[in-house]
Amino acid sequence: MMQIKHNQYQLIKLALSKLVFIALFTPLMITACSDSSSSNQINNKIDYTKSYPPSNGGTLIDAMTGEPSGLIAMIAGESAASAIAGNIFNSLLRYDKNLELTGELVDTWDVSKDQKTITFHLKPNLKWADNQPLTSDDVLFTWQKVTDEKTRTPYGSDFKLVMKAEAPDANTFRVTYAAPYAPALDTWAGLHILPKHLLKDQDINTTAFARNPVGSHYYKLEKWKNGQFLKLTRNENATQGQAKIDNLLSRIIPDKAAQFLELSADNIDSMGLNPIQYARIFPARPDLNKNIALYKELGNSYTYLGFNLKRKPFDDVRVRQAINYAINKQEIIDGVLLGLGEPVASPYKPGTRWSNPELKPYPYDPNKAKALLKAAGYEDHDGDGILDKDGKPFTFEILTNQNKEREMTGVLIQRRLNDIGIKANIRVLEWASFLGRFIKPKEFDVVVLGWSLSLDPDQYSIWHSSQQAPGQFNFISYSNPRVDKLLEAGRLELNPDKRMKIYHEFSKILLEDSPIVFLSAGYGLTAIHKRVRGISNPAPPAGIGHNTYEWYIPSAYARNEMSEH
Amino acid sequence: MLKYLVKRIFWMVPLLIGISLISFFIMHLAPGDITTSEASFNPKASEESRQKLRELYSLDKPVIVQYGLWVKRMATLDFGTSFASHQRPVFWQTKDKDGNVTLGMIQEALPITLLINVLSLALIISVALPLGVVSALNQNQLTDRSITLFVFIGFAIPGFWLALMLMYWTGVQHAWLPISGLQSIGHENMNWLAQTTDTLKHLVLPVFISGITGLAGISLFVRNGMLEVLHQDYITTARSKGLSENRVIYGHALRNALLPLITIFGLSIPGLIGGSVIAESIFAIPGMGKLFYDAVLMRDFPVIMGILTIGAVLTLIGNLLADVAYAWADPRVRRGVVQ
Repeated sequence: MMQIKHNQYQLIKLALSKLVFIALFTPLMITACSDSSSSNQINNKIDYTKSYPPSNGGTLIDAMTGEPSGLIAMIAGESAASAIAGNIFNSLLRYDKNLELTGELVDTWDVSKDQKTITFHLKPNLKWADNQPLTSDDVLFTWQKVTDEKTRTPYGSDFKLVMKAEAPDANTFRVTYAAPYAPALDTWAGLHILPKHLLKDQDINTTAFARNPVGSHYYKLEKWKNGQFLKLTRNENATQGQAKIDNLLSRIIPDKAAQFLELSADNIDSMGLNPIQYARIFPARPDLNKNIALYKELGNSYTYLGFNLKRKPFDDVRVRQAINYAINKQEIIDGVLLGLGEPVASPYKPGTRWSNPELKPYPYDPNKAKALLKAAGYEDHDGDGILDKDGKPFTFEILTNQNKEREMTGVLIQRRLNDIGIKANIRVLEWASFLGRFIKPKEFDVVVLGWSLSLDPDQYSIWHSSQQAPGQFNFISYSNPRVDKLLEAGRLELNPDKRMKIYHEFSKILLEDSPIVFLSAGYGLTAIHKRVRGISNPAPPAGIGHNTYEWYIPSAYARNEMSEH
Repeated sequence: MLKYLVKRIFWMVPLLIGISLISFFIMHLAPGDITTSEASFNPKASEESRQKLRELYSLDKPVIVQYGLWVKRMATLDFGTSFASHQRPVFWQTKDKDGNVTLGMIQEALPITLLINVLSLALIISVALPLGVVSALNQNQLTDRSITLFVFIGFAIPGFWLALMLMYWTGVQHAWLPISGLQSIGHENMNWLAQTTDTLKHLVLPVFISGITGLAGISLFVRNGMLEVLHQDYITTARSKGLSENRVIYGHALRNALLPLITIFGLSIPGLIGGSVIAESIFAIPGMGKLFYDAVLMRDFPVIMGILTIGAVLTLIGNLLADVAYAWADPRVRRGVVQ
């Protein structure tokens, strides 16, 4: 009896353990057998170094981490939306590859003598993707929408400065400002023109048009699968000529590591890389380098250390300069960005006209820092290794938000400050409380944050002394009458050359005054499959994306559309 | 029994109101709102415009007033529209005057998450049940020990790491399975068979990853329940009256050992609609976890409240179902209920 029982146990055990094994591994094995044509194995055999003349066709697949909320950029606002909408809609003006303004929908534009009126002359015979004519009426309509009180856009204020907007004929659009407003041209380069004939009876905040747009640029939306992908296809009526690549497909893959795996398996053609992927993983993987080319371009933002100028001792320019000398910027670029960045000396992109070529960042010079601090009254009187003045040690808090690169930057700064006898503590906060509890009420000593390297030089809202109210952007409370004057003058001057002089002067004062320490500007890093050709390398100031319409995929390299994963 | 049911359902109403009130206030305790996201910290967006947005969304009103507005909408089962996603309806699709249908956010995310969770629950049960039984029958022997070790490794292993490793192995090295996403690019051009296979292939890894972490709990439950039952007098009785060992184990022991599982499954009903943020992000699956996570980051209050409310309702229903099912399965409980 006992013997039989034991045997049965054994049998059940065996059966069950087999069951377990099958349940666990069947899915893997079935799929392992069914898909014998591995895409990457095939592609590894293709030689991607041959040259081919430009040709039409093909699909470019890239990956984004976020999904657009809609494709009306003035309402959506996030970068994913602008990236897609930028392929669908035109603006009146655009930035060329050297980041100079040039016409997009307009041929030319005139500025009146008093610099208050700008007249845009639209190109003739412009059309929407649905074959309707695109006229100045559409431009006027777009302006009315962006300034409408009911429109849920955060970007209306620049356009509300327009006193009068008119469309005297189908190809002319004229705006008159109460006072000359130099950033106006930049604002018109950022406003996507919307079709009046489709939107005039719609509530722009809720319209289905945002998910099914009709534009005038190179591409039109063909399919949008929520949470999965957006597929754009060539617009036959494009106002700027025809792009070479037929389809742009943007897959939504929130995780960078998953994007990287998709890129390695040749399921996507392009993705943005982080410095580790660019500088550590790619050099170690010759198999990837065979098929994938890497590009770097100067990014659109810089990291800075900002002082609360309302707090002592940061109101003393010597203290600010001393801290500037004490921080080793190259060390931050090497340590945090793995060398993939540049030091900056002004809030403008190096290489563009607004960036003053004479300005150099403060060199790393701890002795000079100590001397300046001594002049400001800071010495180590009690011998505890920390500088003090009037019996109080020089210690403060570096505040930043949850951002790995900024946290690491803070740590490197902390160490360098420690070297010259300043004790800094680091505090990292979630964005909303960072903003609400510390930035708005100005309850901070020093912050590590980033600003964009704006294309228009006007930075009135960041540096002008009138912009210090809670919620405004001069939260470091910078106030310098000379800078105020220059910022005001820069807004009134529409002549680019005269304007350039104003902002070169402004940058010079800003660097001397050191209300912030310019730390680094990281590169934008992109990996693109070698099947995509026509990409400018090295990248011009506008980045590799300035001529996407000229990119092409030789038909020998095009994917087989059905077998794509 | 009927009286008991009615009473239970009746009591769900004040419970729901309480839950929604607490969730609403906790949500508003977190600093910031839709206008204070990091992306909106942009010099081009003025403070006045942000204030205007706050007014348009009624965010400038006291929290209690906002709660009142929300309850008023909920009374007509209107979950509202999302702040962050261009006014998409939170729950179910709407049709505008031109006949354009906009799908609801939960409507789209829920079936995906539900499918993955049901599949992984099925996987868990089909694996955990035999594992638990085998463990119990071989208590403290090598088989038992190795099964316990295996399920605990599965429980302890970081899901995102295992996911990436499997994605690399099955997707990059061998191209057996798609790496991420829910469908292939050419999905709509396939016939239905290819479409089903395509979707299933995309689901293998996500289901496996969410299943493996849940294995430990259920298999140990089965094991311990089984052990307890095997020592009961009625098992000795069954054996002594000469029933075959199969009947003793599967006919008497297992059935009784499974009773506590009813409660566990009842309680896992709300879990079925909550996706895993990490798995959904890694596999690029637009499910409920990602939806909720993004909504919290963006302070998209209507979406947060929508998901919390549906979660609360399902939790209460799950509780009720578990209790009823338990009563149905276990006469002892049933009698207790009637009294």
